[in-house]
Amino acid sequence: MRTLWWTLAIVGMSLVSIVLSEHRTFDPLQNLSLTIAAPVDSGIRDLANPTSDFFQGIFNRGDIVRENERLRREMERLQTQVAAGEDATRRVRELEDALGFKDSRPDDQLVVADVIAQDPSGLKRALAINRGSNDGLDEGMVVLSRDGSLVGTVSLVYDDFAWLRLITDPNSAVNIAVLPQGGKDAAARGIAAGDLRSGVTLEMLPTETEVNPGDLVTTSGLGGNYPRALLLGTVKTVEDKPQAPSKRAVLEPAADISALETILVVTSFKPARLAAP
Amino acid sequence: MKYLAALAGAFLAAVLTVSLSPYVKVLGVAPDFVLIFAACWAMVRGQSEAMFVVPIAGLLRDLTTSDPLGLSVLALSPIVFLSLLRELRPVESDFLPALAVVATASLTYAILSMTVLTAVGDDVAWATALLRLAVPSIIVNPLFAVIVYPPMRWLNPRPRPASFGIGSAVQL
Repeated sequence: MRTLWWTLAIVGMSLVSIVLSEHRTFDPLQNLSLTIAAPVDSGIRDLANPTSDFFQGIFNRGDIVRENERLRREMERLQTQVAAGEDATRRVRELEDALGFKDSRPDDQLVVADVIAQDPSGLKRALAINRGSNDGLDEGMVVLSRDGSLVGTVSLVYDDFAWLRLITDPNSAVNIAVLPQGGKDAAARGIAAGDLRSGVTLEMLPTETEVNPGDLVTTSGLGGNYPRALLLGTVKTVEDKPQAPSKRAVLEPAADISALETILVVTSFKPARLAAP
Repeated sequence: MKYLAALAGAFLAAVLTVSLSPYVKVLGVAPDFVLIFAACWAMVRGQSEAMFVVPIAGLLRDLTTSDPLGLSVLALSPIVFLSLLRELRPVESDFLPALAVVATASLTYAILSMTVLTAVGDDVAWATALLRLAVPSIIVNPLFAVIVYPPMRWLNPRPRPASFGIGSAVQL
């Protein structure tokens, strides 16, 4: 009988809490708990980092790992430049076609934040950062890696902390353009959707356009939720079924999303969902 | 005092789960130290204490993640029922039932949390999540429980049941 009452009480309280939580009632409490947990968390992460390096070093030489990391970042930086260049060429052409069209994207204003935690459930791909609404953050704002490629958006904001939804999260969908190498063909537009299995899949790509492994993938700007020409990564593999209504591909993100420690939040760009009345 | 220790243990488990998850991954999943702690506590200290410790552990877990508050309280609650296995004593060992409880709780936790997330409007890929998260966690969490359970049992030794024979009180 006691167990039955306990069950009813727990189920009832949990359901009420979940509903109130969805209405953001517990935000101050969650902000407080992150304030208390953050220093302990950072300490554990600082301890875990060398330990992780030690175990990696058993199988990989440390210098190779560091070199690999450096090259990856260098490649990401160069790819960002190439993507911006290719997109700029296309854009000039489009702007020439539509005289008087003004570039609406202002110079980016960025807030630097440190990653303090990662959602452990595995059902989500989310990170907690040490910046919140007091630093000018708002839900929907775009988040970049240290080297400028898109890694996600701000999904939950407390006063001093925020949770990010990564592009690998199953709830993430970004309008993208696949820029063919050489810049001869038109960019293929589609959607980059988060996927628990393969990270990010590129969906709804038109069958008639050419998409090849190595092609750069950037935001298309459609929908107004992301600035245009932000690098996501490169096409890893292409799944081209003859009878399928659209092509599907897998993205290799430019940033090492599993090892993000510092990120940049673009505060100057207002996503359409925030700008709407 | 024991509840204060439970609170401290649950807090440490919650912080460990959040901060170590990028570094400690086996079969693609991170161990859930909160679940392991709550299940081991329930198996070591019994159902009545589990009724208090399990909701506290769930609450602390929700406060340190992006999940809605109450999700983990609900998803961890089957541990209280599973802890009945402690009283049933299906085998002589205490250790194997504890591992079985951790494994079963891992599965029920995954299913209940996916149900809640689906209900609040999150996009949950059920088949992928079951295959890539729930099933591996049934193996991974008991692996880490092997480390957590023995010290907890050592700190809380269980009184041995009276044996039959000389000196035992058998009423006819």
